[in-house]
Amino acid sequence: MKTIRIDPITRLEGHGKIEIFLADDGGVQDCHFQIPELRGFERFVVGRPVEELPRIMTRICGVCPASHHMASAKAVDGCFGGEVAPLAHKLRDMYYHAHYIHSHIAHFYALAAPDFVLGPDADPAIRNILGVIAKVGLEIGGQVIQARAMAQKIQQLLGGRFTHLVWCLPGGVSKGLKKIELEKIKPMVMELSKFADFSLKLFRDIVLGNPQYVDLILNGPYTLDVHSMGLVDENNASNFYDGQVRVVDFEGKEICKYQPHEYADFVAEHVESWSYLKFPYLKKRGWKGFTEGIDSSLYCATPLARLNVSDRMATPRAQAAFEEMFQTVGGKPCRALLANHWARLVEMVHNVEMLERYCADPEITGDQFRVIPKKITGEGVGIVEAMRGTLTHHYTCDKNGICTSANLIVGTTNNNAPIQMVTKKVAQALIKPGKDPDQGILNMIEMAFRAFDPCYSCATHSLPGQMPLEVLAYKNGALHWQLRRGI
Amino acid sequence: MKRILLLGMGNPILCDDAIGIRLAGYFKDRLQQFADLDIIDDCSLGGFNLLDILKGYSRLIVIDSIRSGGAEPGLWHYFTADRLRETMNLNCVHDANFATALELGRRLGMHLPADRDIHIFAVEILDNRTFSERMSDSLENRFQPLAEEIFTHVSRLLKTHHQ
Repeated sequence: MKTIRIDPITRLEGHGKIEIFLADDGGVQDCHFQIPELRGFERFVVGRPVEELPRIMTRICGVCPASHHMASAKAVDGCFGGEVAPLAHKLRDMYYHAHYIHSHIAHFYALAAPDFVLGPDADPAIRNILGVIAKVGLEIGGQVIQARAMAQKIQQLLGGRFTHLVWCLPGGVSKGLKKIELEKIKPMVMELSKFADFSLKLFRDIVLGNPQYVDLILNGPYTLDVHSMGLVDENNASNFYDGQVRVVDFEGKEICKYQPHEYADFVAEHVESWSYLKFPYLKKRGWKGFTEGIDSSLYCATPLARLNVSDRMATPRAQAAFEEMFQTVGGKPCRALLANHWARLVEMVHNVEMLERYCADPEITGDQFRVIPKKITGEGVGIVEAMRGTLTHHYTCDKNGICTSANLIVGTTNNNAPIQMVTKKVAQALIKPGKDPDQGILNMIEMAFRAFDPCYSCATHSLPGQMPLEVLAYKNGALHWQLRRGI
Repeated sequence: MKRILLLGMGNPILCDDAIGIRLAGYFKDRLQQFADLDIIDDCSLGGFNLLDILKGYSRLIVIDSIRSGGAEPGLWHYFTADRLRETMNLNCVHDANFATALELGRRLGMHLPADRDIHIFAVEILDNRTFSERMSDSLENRFQPLAEEIFTHVSRLLKTHHQ
């Protein structure tokens, strides 16, 4: 047997390694996506005042700190009886939409666009955002940076900081939105609205306008017959901050729908000896291995999954973009994982529409943004949609409010099994007997999991780091060939 | 606007990854004499986010951690961005690494420090995978002399700038 090792992976949060096991005839026999890092955050927080956890949790990772802050805040709300000022929910949701915009811009333009603007087999030296800007022009590059900065600024005006928030408190938030701050936000939202439309148009022109890319998305090996998970509101419309978790199978039938506090009845985690990261699955179906099919217990929790579980979008322009997307990809649900990049842009339209809605809300600058908790009830579960998937925080505390346990199921962890499976599928499709893979093929393997925008810095609770790429191929225990990138 | 920025990079609760933050915090009061200096002693940002912070400055001093493999914890390196090696925190994996972000900013016409004016102090560390408010013993024990050594060099850099 020959082993190909892609270690570490580029343009991915955290440090990952892919090992591809080749049979003697050169075909792919198996594939492991490994995260060689350690956990420990849940233990770190035990013994601390539970109201401090939203502030500590943002330090898990600099990539989606607001997601952890929000999920943590909601779990802490629960520990203190669950009453939250209605205005605080609005402000938190408003902040979160701005956070989504910032994150989706970064992923789409810096991580996904190089594969489509420059091509999957472009020279790795130029397959990055500098290459993208060189091709599409400096003006667009300037718009990307400016839009990203505006999304950050909106967060700062709302929560005091654009990262590592200390804003949410049990029962609400520590500051409201002043009218003068709102007036600063409004023109930025108008610009972001134009930018979201522009990004969708860019996707249509560059990706949908290229029949090869459309074929790759719809007919390539980047599909999986597993189910979808995401938060929805009472109308089954997509929601990122609040609601119930809905799971829909890949034929569109609802499997289950649960309240955050019921999560342990519906989701369980499987352990494999070769991975530090667990493999969540639908508990009532039981662990059935890394298998596709209508009876599978595996699911994706991604932007595309969120749209798959939603009957509709809560805002009109996003609804139009949602309909266009599913019409183009052949219906809903969609199993083509590369459509995640499109789904992010549909979500971005929704994000700006929600910001517009909040800007027009006469109550948004009110001063009733916190209810002071009067009791400690001892347990809370907070679920939000992190950009990378459904994020669950579950805490318990004693009668003095000291944390006694914490459990986190983070976005990327939900997708661990599907990432393993699609990586193997793509490797099997592209690595053929008798032909060693080149950089283009390796990048196309990376594209499989890049669609998930995985972030292992919190999945394993370890440090992120973009690293060079090294591929080692072994045959019968000896180094057969190697490829290096950025070393 | 002041012209020089000093950043302490890292994660304050990730064991040795806090070294940049600890050092910058230690220097903060002692560097008050330099009127042209801004200090952000707890900077846990990377990539494009750093551009927002650096915009407008002519000179940058970064204090960060590094794991070059097998080196003694507390050993430190000094280099400028024209010889940039990736430290643990100057990487940002969600968008672009520091060098790429800088290059992008320059192409877009932002006023950013030139590579030769970006001074990086990178301290070798042992453990950046364990959540802890305390650094490893080897680094804690070495902190005081290490801080004085780097402070001497940082002060010299700042005085040079003012001449």
